Amino acid sequence: MKTTLSYKILIWTGIAVLLVWSLGPIYWTIASSVTPSADFSTRPINFFPQHFTLDHYSRLLGVNIARIGGVEVFKQFRAALINSVVTSVAATLLCVAISAFGAYAFTRLQFPGRKALFIIVVATLAIPAYAVLIPLYQIMIKLHLVDTYVGVALIYVSAFLPLSLWLLKSVFEALPIALEEAAQLDGAGRLYIFFNIVLPLAGPGLTAAAILTFLGAWGQYLVPLIFSPQATKPLTVLIPEFVTKNFIDYGLITASGSIAIIIPALVVIFLNRYLVSGLLAGSVK
Amino acid sequence: MHKFILPLLASAALVIAMPAFGQDAKPLAGQSITVLMPSPQGPNIAEDFEAETGIHVDLQTLSWDDIRPKLVTALVAGTAPADVTEFDWSWTGQFSAAGWYMPLNDVIDADTLEDIGVAKIFTVDGKLLGIPYTNDFRVMLVNKKHFADAGVANMPKTLNDLVAAAKAIKEKGVTEYPIGLPVSATEGASTSWYLLTKAFGGELFDKDFNPLFLQPDSAGYKALAFELMLLKDGLVDPASTGLKDSQINESMFSQGLTSIMISGEPGRLGQMNDPKQSKVAGQVEAILVPTESGETRSFGLPEALAIPNVSENKEAAVAFVKWFTSREFQKKNAVNGFLPTRTSALSELNEAGKLNSGDALVAQSKTVEALFPQGTPPWYPQFSSGVNTAINSAAKGQMTVDQAMEAIATAAKQAMAQ
Amino acid sequence: MSVVASGNVANKRGVGFNADTTLGLLLVSPIVITMVALVFYPMGRTVWDSLHRVNPMQVGTPFVGLENYSRMLSDAQLATTWGNTLTYVVLAVLAEIILGVLAAALINQIKTGRQWVLAAVILPWALPGVVNSVIWLWIYQPGAGLLNGILVALGLPFENHVWFNDRTSAIIAVTVVHVWRMMPLTIVIVLAAMQGIPAHLYEAARIDGATRVQMFGLVTLPLVRSAIAVAMTNATVNAFNLFDEAWVLAGASLETRPVLVQIYLETFQNLRFSYGMALSVVVTLVSLLISLVYVLRVYRNTRFD
Repeated sequence: MKTTLSYKILIWTGIAVLLVWSLGPIYWTIASSVTPSADFSTRPINFFPQHFTLDHYSRLLGVNIARIGGVEVFKQFRAALINSVVTSVAATLLCVAISAFGAYAFTRLQFPGRKALFIIVVATLAIPAYAVLIPLYQIMIKLHLVDTYVGVALIYVSAFLPLSLWLLKSVFEALPIALEEAAQLDGAGRLYIFFNIVLPLAGPGLTAAAILTFLGAWGQYLVPLIFSPQATKPLTVLIPEFVTKNFIDYGLITASGSIAIIIPALVVIFLNRYLVSGLLAGSVK
Repeated sequence: MHKFILPLLASAALVIAMPAFGQDAKPLAGQSITVLMPSPQGPNIAEDFEAETGIHVDLQTLSWDDIRPKLVTALVAGTAPADVTEFDWSWTGQFSAAGWYMPLNDVIDADTLEDIGVAKIFTVDGKLLGIPYTNDFRVMLVNKKHFADAGVANMPKTLNDLVAAAKAIKEKGVTEYPIGLPVSATEGASTSWYLLTKAFGGELFDKDFNPLFLQPDSAGYKALAFELMLLKDGLVDPASTGLKDSQINESMFSQGLTSIMISGEPGRLGQMNDPKQSKVAGQVEAILVPTESGETRSFGLPEALAIPNVSENKEAAVAFVKWFTSREFQKKNAVNGFLPTRTSALSELNEAGKLNSGDALVAQSKTVEALFPQGTPPWYPQFSSGVNTAINSAAKGQMTVDQAMEAIATAAKQAMAQ
Repeated sequence: MSVVASGNVANKRGVGFNADTTLGLLLVSPIVITMVALVFYPMGRTVWDSLHRVNPMQVGTPFVGLENYSRMLSDAQLATTWGNTLTYVVLAVLAEIILGVLAAALINQIKTGRQWVLAAVILPWALPGVVNSVIWLWIYQPGAGLLNGILVALGLPFENHVWFNDRTSAIIAVTVVHVWRMMPLTIVIVLAAMQGIPAHLYEAARIDGATRVQMFGLVTLPLVRSAIAVAMTNATVNAFNLFDEAWVLAGASLETRPVLVQIYLETFQNLRFSYGMALSVVVTLVSLLISLVYVLRVYRNTRFD
């Protein structure tokens, strides 16, 4: 269809509105993180930082001073960043692997209770974390998994598995079955087919499931608050510590928030086409 | 330091019937405990303690709001959140009813209890559940410069003086909203109302926990009417309906946008007089809480350290609690914003000139009452949440004073019914 | 019920324990183990406890039947929070779906820079919820907040406007934050479905002389219907689970308090564990039922197509 100029203007105006809506608050976070604390209460407000400072970042990274109110900020921050990466990556790999096996079984193999199991697993999406928090804590204590990477990663897997399984099942269902049948006629086993034919074809879908899981795990708060008190404490639990009973350090919050968003932002910028093509491959049913 | 710590440890060892390691200076060396406290804490706690006792400490910190859910989850699951944990005064009733914490009567000597007067707030049925380490009570924080700029020479002693001073400050245009008062649905709004109730010469409940705030001439009723009057007359920022006490302190008082914190925290003085964190450094002072009659009153909101019953390292935990609440450590810890709970430490700091507005703080600390003289009841958290929800609705004009008092009485009744 | 029945049908078809069955069970076993240990068993415990009186301040945990559930009916505060939550659900689902579908359609129209626009649009969802809420707290702040700043700069009288002093604007303010964070999910799901629509359908519509609006209504919308149902299911479940936004922005304020905050207060503030557990069971069931309605409607409709 021929696109008229006015139509183009209309579309790009819409896109501009969308961008302002999406990026405005993020811009404000980053702008605040380079604003000196003294300027935070200036009225009327300035839309652009009037005095640029890296003070909050240098406090966060321990360049000038090692401690704020006694907290060794940099050491804690670095540990929390590593913890966030480790738990999110571990949960993502585990979750995608488990749900890929499962999705294949659900689409290509007959076994008793197949449909029921799938529906029950997907239905757990609706369970709020508070509903299972306390019994889950008792279990993790018994398994000695509190404050371990394995424990937290397993909880994330159980939380994000339903979505990932749902997505991958649709992806596998949409794959052309002819290739697999041909391979079967050639005498290839199920697992051979799964690893050598199905998985490569489902690449975008697997990536999409991985992105969804990773971003979900990265932003978790309540679960690590209870299950990662110290050694595995992630960024999301550390950042609220800058809000103490008596003091909200907006500078540190915005600076650490800006850093906390870098990794998810990189994921989103470089992998978002897989997210869409993955969901497209499944055309989510 | 050693002179002081050794006898303490020795007595701890004796009392809890440890085999007496007579000469060993560090009987518990090699043990390891976990400690859960709100951030921020002093920087060298673990190192200093280990150096003195040989006990290794894993210090875990969480933001204040996150501590309670963490504690409750672990305790209800029958496990220890840590060997030593934070214990706020407001939890006393609940945690005592739940039987989660170990009574400390037998491990703390009488002199210590005598010195830490606010310890009685943590005592239920004769059981001492926590040793207070930070002494929070209410004073009034004022910006001296604003008073001078408005030509107010004398600091207010009565609530009428207070209103007159605030009006003068507003009329002179020194600040648009001279009084900082949280009326959001947060704990700060409750504690401000409690303080004003005391300032109007009353109590919340009689000894049988019947509400005393329902009559229009009662102190609690007058306190809320007073708050609404301050809002209506433009002495309190209408935005206070959404602000926690900490936000008013941070974004208004420390910025010179408001002149009086009615329900002020002594622990903030250091921060407010620190030019790095405050625009009003050098202008802030604590004064005694003004009341209707002119005779000051205040109440205590101390925080303590306590040991869960299920802790497996009780001896080492006791040693930590004693060390953390010792006179020497409290004096050192004051620079981190923790006002000593020991009267002796407070006086010594004041005499050494190390306390901001020390005289006012020492004088006010002597007037500190328990909010509930009968002991903090187990239903306090639910009651308090009902209080601030009702105050918040009244401040937003959704309820009258009558309705708000009714709502608070209903909340109290529901909370008591369990 | 029908779920169980269909499982049995598969059985009766005579699928015995051949190699496929064994492999199938083997492949789903990690899922079964994880979910049973970390979700089904704890959820079962929660349901079980909700039939008892679990309150650490009272001795014992006697069986009380449905008392925790019947008590909900006379809990006035709870009724208010249900009202708030249902308002959030309706507002958030409508906003996320209508605006999300429009946004997806917009992005689907552009060729250059689509990847970058999409990245920008997804970003709010990637921001950790904790940071998100604190930032918005600051944006809504009456004195030095961004929102009032913008309105004042436009010449409007909003110098010290307090958004949370009025129930309607407070609820909307909380919803906006939630929608800002959750809409990207709708956009991505719907956009994926739009990209899957074969170009020849549009071509055919164009030859028939359809306008752009007609094409959107007659070609695009019907074909992305099932994606919309998935997005709506997600939006509904997420809106029922709204917590951070209300808690950080307005504390326990009754005017904005959602059911999940009520659960938090009953459990962690009042220590009425079994009541809190009963509430969370009800929230789960209600959000499941509502989601089921969309899913069934869509499947029925698509079958008729």
